Amino acid sequence: MAEAQLPVSVWSPGEDVVEVRRAPAPGAARSFTRAFLETLRGLKTTFARVIEGPVTIQYPEEKVPVYPRFRGRHRLHRFEESGLEKCVGCSLCAAACPADCIRVVAAENTPEHRVSAGERYAAVYEINLSRCIFCGYCEVACPFDAITMGHDYELSDYDRSDLIFTKEMLLAEPLERTPLRREDE
Amino acid sequence: MSSLQGRTLAQGVTLAPLSEDVEEWGGAREHDELFELNFGPHHPATHGVLRLIVTLQGEVVVEVKPIIGYVHTGIEKTAEDKSYWKVIPVLERMDYLSYYFNAMAFCSATERLLELEVPERAQYLRVIHLELNRIMSHLVWLGTSALDLGAISIFWYCFREREAILDLFEMSSGQRMHTRYFQVGGVIEDIPRGFERKLRQFLKVMPARADQYADILNANEIVLQRLRGTCPLSAERLLALGVSGPLLRAAGVPWDLRKATPYSSYERFDFKIPVGTAGDNYDRYAVRHAEIYESVKIIEQALDGLPEGPHITPDRKVSLPPRHELATSMEALIHHFKLVTEGFRVPAGEAYVPIESPRGELACFVRSDGSSKPARVHMRDPSFVNLQALSEMVRGSYIADMIATVAMLDPVLGGIDR
Repeated sequence: MAEAQLPVSVWSPGEDVVEVRRAPAPGAARSFTRAFLETLRGLKTTFARVIEGPVTIQYPEEKVPVYPRFRGRHRLHRFEESGLEKCVGCSLCAAACPADCIRVVAAENTPEHRVSAGERYAAVYEINLSRCIFCGYCEVACPFDAITMGHDYELSDYDRSDLIFTKEMLLAEPLERTPLRREDE
Repeated sequence: MSSLQGRTLAQGVTLAPLSEDVEEWGGAREHDELFELNFGPHHPATHGVLRLIVTLQGEVVVEVKPIIGYVHTGIEKTAEDKSYWKVIPVLERMDYLSYYFNAMAFCSATERLLELEVPERAQYLRVIHLELNRIMSHLVWLGTSALDLGAISIFWYCFREREAILDLFEMSSGQRMHTRYFQVGGVIEDIPRGFERKLRQFLKVMPARADQYADILNANEIVLQRLRGTCPLSAERLLALGVSGPLLRAAGVPWDLRKATPYSSYERFDFKIPVGTAGDNYDRYAVRHAEIYESVKIIEQALDGLPEGPHITPDRKVSLPPRHELATSMEALIHHFKLVTEGFRVPAGEAYVPIESPRGELACFVRSDGSSKPARVHMRDPSFVNLQALSEMVRGSYIADMIATVAMLDPVLGGIDR
């Protein structure tokens, strides 16, 4: 039946076709009993869910923990021992960004003014989070692990200009820690 | 004014003959007048920003014209300005319910131009994520469509299972939507520890949940009244209009690209193509519902047979070197810089790769001029093509059935407008 309808029968899936269940035919007496019984069956299905308990999470009081790979707001990092910034201002993150939301202006380190571990450092490092699409390519591109995607996702603000994150904001510890899951949880 | 009076319309709707005393009221004949209704673009039943200009005669739809373009973002043009790997996260945002499919179509087309072999493990991981995405897309469709028909609990149930799938996406790729997990040559990262266990839990639960949806909907009298026998379209017309996917299969044509032109190892999995018989709205519902079970079967097989090996092609000219090599190998660092700044060059040529998305044939056309940016990227989006069948489906039926038909059409406006 199914293949007879094909105007151009060049290809046939053979045995791999299964016909779906047809809708029950309309009919006065049967319809009436069915309407009654099927409504009961539907009610049984919904009421049976009561024992499963609620799945609602009381956000924002209760937050969903994120997975280790979750890509939230970016973080810039320092070396723990020396306190120097890991970023050397190479602009690879800006080159990798599909949304063009990263701006890096590099400057030379001097012996009196040493900011990063390399020859140069990022004098300006800005991420426009209102443009960012959180693809994480900056993290992939960075050869020094200087920028990583953090776990914060509550990023709304009242002003668009407040969403341009500067280097200091990205280097700082987040005010509130987002709960994190273990990898195999 | 044209009259449909006394004619039996396609859907078996017969308009009552007018009584003569209507004219005594001094107005036009009540049901003779054509009424043009603006439906949308912001309406919960249009599933996005779709605008429909509906011409009504009484309650019967005489003509419907879809107006699109409200979420046009120029993604195809944007893609011409970006290197190949940067196109992926942008392109994913077109059909926002089937992001893995968008990425898959683009990556496959690029891989064909590069004549690149995708490792088996990557192919299997792709299949797992594609089918999860298909279930997810169908769940969103089922939930919102049931909402249009007046069933609210289904919406909560579907979104509960969708949440489980999005958790799995977050686990493997770091993002719940628009994951950029697929890359040219494979997938960007292997699945994490614990993913398989969590996925198996989900696969155990999902068929039982789908059974519950069926218990509520399959023979529910309201659903039957709204879907059974409403707005059918013959297979010939659907084919002539270029309709593909579950809509075509509901009319009895067993056309599924996963079987017809297998890609990404689909030929190794045992699954069936659910087809309908009448091609009405009920069949459209039943076909998609049955596809959820088939997708679960495919994921189970892919997970059981998941081969060991690399998750992305070892070709250093295309894929980024592993991170630990950056600190030790100068060559790796050079490749890394080259790939991130310029990207890989693709030999000149054209490729058109169709895949089976939750809505039908999703295809990506890529033309390369030999540089590291595509010269043209075009997506054949199934929602766009399927939408043109709407007018023929609903002509002559009640406006309430049009709502059900738009729901069963499952258009995603992000994909239509691009």
